[in-house]
Amino acid sequence: MSPARTALHTDVDEEIIRGEGLTVRKGRRVILDVTEIRIRRGESLAIIGPNGAGKSTLIHLLAFLLRPTTGVVYFRGTAPRTHRDRLAARRKMAIVFQEPLLVDATVYQNVALGLRFRGLAREEIDTRVRHWMEVFGITGLRNERAHTLSGGEAKRASLARAFALEPDVLFLDEPFSALDVRTRQVLLNELAHVIHTTGTTTVLVTHDYTEIMPLARRTLAMVAGRIVRDGDSEGVIKEFDNQVAPFDNVDQALLRPCGW
Amino acid sequence: MKGSTIVGGNRRRSGWHLDRRGRRALPGVSSGPRRAAAPRSGWALLALCLTAAIVALSLCGAGATPTNRNVILATTTSTQDSGLLDVLIPIFEKETGYLVKTIAVGTGQALAMAERGEADVVLCHAPSAELEVVRKGAVINRQLVMHNDFIIVGPSDDPAHIKGIKNAAEAFKRIAEAKVAFISRGDESGTHKKEKEIWKKAGITPGGKWYQECGLGMGQTLSIASEKRGYTLTDRGTYLALKKNLDLTILVEGEASLLNIYHVMQVNPEKFGKVNADGAKAFVEFMISPRTQAIIGEFGVDKFGAPLFFPDAGKDEAALGK
Amino acid sequence: MDLIWDGMVQAAKLLLSLDPEVLRICSLTLRVSGLATLISVLVGVPLGLFLALTSFRGRGVIVGAVNTGMGLPPVVVGLWVSILLWRYGPLGFLGIMYTPAAMVIAQSVIALPLVTGFTMAGIQQLNPKLRLQLMGLGASRMQVLGVLLWEARLSVLAAVIAGFGGVISEVGASNMVGGNILGQTRVLTTATMMEVSKGNFGLATALGLILLAISYTITQVLTIIQQRGSRRD
Repeated sequence: MSPARTALHTDVDEEIIRGEGLTVRKGRRVILDVTEIRIRRGESLAIIGPNGAGKSTLIHLLAFLLRPTTGVVYFRGTAPRTHRDRLAARRKMAIVFQEPLLVDATVYQNVALGLRFRGLAREEIDTRVRHWMEVFGITGLRNERAHTLSGGEAKRASLARAFALEPDVLFLDEPFSALDVRTRQVLLNELAHVIHTTGTTTVLVTHDYTEIMPLARRTLAMVAGRIVRDGDSEGVIKEFDNQVAPFDNVDQALLRPCGW
Repeated sequence: MKGSTIVGGNRRRSGWHLDRRGRRALPGVSSGPRRAAAPRSGWALLALCLTAAIVALSLCGAGATPTNRNVILATTTSTQDSGLLDVLIPIFEKETGYLVKTIAVGTGQALAMAERGEADVVLCHAPSAELEVVRKGAVINRQLVMHNDFIIVGPSDDPAHIKGIKNAAEAFKRIAEAKVAFISRGDESGTHKKEKEIWKKAGITPGGKWYQECGLGMGQTLSIASEKRGYTLTDRGTYLALKKNLDLTILVEGEASLLNIYHVMQVNPEKFGKVNADGAKAFVEFMISPRTQAIIGEFGVDKFGAPLFFPDAGKDEAALGK
Repeated sequence: MDLIWDGMVQAAKLLLSLDPEVLRICSLTLRVSGLATLISVLVGVPLGLFLALTSFRGRGVIVGAVNTGMGLPPVVVGLWVSILLWRYGPLGFLGIMYTPAAMVIAQSVIALPLVTGFTMAGIQQLNPKLRLQLMGLGASRMQVLGVLLWEARLSVLAAVIAGFGGVISEVGASNMVGGNILGQTRVLTTATMMEVSKGNFGLATALGLILLAISYTITQVLTIIQQRGSRRD
């Protein structure tokens, strides 16, 4: 069967990322097979699915961190061809990884890292770093070495590091995994607030759809490298109302209605 | 938790996704279409490696000195160890302006270097091996320079009772019979070749626990002999120079076959075009000049009370030691 | 024991009297080994990065060669470099046999596998996901490499220490390609070996002690730099 097409109306002017005919193979194994994916400017989109569904692989493709075996990713209507083009596209984006790695330096230096890669002026970097450290409540940790931080503090630093880039597109790869419930709730609220006030295009990968409602209006469900559902978050979640996080047995629930 | 400050701090900004920075050209990033899926920083690295290697090589090249001024003298460690060259070479360099590169190696290696054209001039003391190289045409202008002599040294209590014997082969026979430690250079040096010659004359193939080949220079061989209270064959020069550190005495000396005859010879420039023929010729002439010969005859007298070498330029080799 | 004492006294005398020959030997030792270390770092660090970060056919063979090369006997290197640099060797036209340049080449060859191997191991110990995350932050290739080197800086400095320690203490190759020529290519190790061969054990001990002192000082400086950069909790 063919994966579901995006149900949303697409306007070329508003489309920021489009992937066509994306497949990723490792040896004989097909890890990802996505015929089409479109993301509009200002949209917040969630991708759900079980472990190994290809969620992270998909956003790595869309963020130009990984190159597909076949297919093309367009950013603002053009497909970067050269390394330099891809780097330029990447510098319009930010990604928060599931296990963010900080470099062996102070928190301030870590938050400033992506800005320094972009060669911004020192004062501009300082303004932004101070602002986003304040937003994520880590101003007091400014001169601490990264490896002395707790899990929650490191997560905040990695979020500040991504937000300081003030990207056109923000990818969040399970940003709240491995956090205690209270920290997760606080960070989720902060993140929702920041995203809604800035109107940043956001792609959230998650394992756990209790995170979706505050953050994303549209949700894609993936299983075994394919997109099996795409639509309004409420609708997609409603369809799997019986499924409660953690999402362990989701394969069966998602597969049955598609006649898999 | 600092939740309140987080939310409060954000309101100052909006519209941050605007493209304010624009695209920058990125220094140090190579471009061009690439097909592979993995990031290819590797190739940039490889290019960096190669550049560094080339820079390194050119740095090395810059340190090179012009070859025509250099004269490569291949000689034996015993010559260098005696200290004679430290006296002669500065005089030669000052007189002629050549720069001598003294490569002190075993006789085997010195002659092999000559045979391959890797030296300009050779000073060594293994006449029969030298003649072989002359016959091959690798060296020319072979001149008798000087001699010192080989002596058999050993512990003063002389467990093999060889003291005073005039015949070296007879002395070796007694050492073998007594199975007292004998330290051999074992390195195909002139001294080692001489030693094997004597064993052959004695009709003995040395071997067993008492016969120890150390593969070292003369100085170290003497030290070992001294430490192990054994016998060894040495040139007089090295022995005299090191005597103060050794517990060894001269037991057999004076036989004609024990003479250690030095020749200087230049590597054949007709066979090896890269040889510094002028420099080599100048060195040969310097070594046999009357003034140098006089210096050789004086060398060591102030320090040891006896000369280490006997100047022989112009003499008949066959008449030496008679 | 008296030899060691004699050696210490003689070393002190040689250094305090600023014996010109000894100073020249020390200076040449430092210049040759320093330059060789520099070259091996310039080549070995990028090569170590390359081997750590890429996979290609034949990589295993090269990595094996690097690891074997870490224990390469200097005499073997000396022989190879001699064969290359001899007048009638493939690089004979350079005319650098029996010069400090030849010694720099031989020592670079000895240090290169050490520097490459240590760098490679240091980079491979980093979290493999770090590279992707740095790219995600918008790092160019060179910026990625810069941060990776920063993260592996303890290993890289260990590589420099190992390389320098390897070449300054090496005698076989320097003797063979340099020739131990007085005033031209005599360094502390070859001078020590020659004095041993002459039986001047006191002087040899003195030279050996000077070598140790120099080697210790340089290594100590590098170690201090290295430890300053280490993590302190």
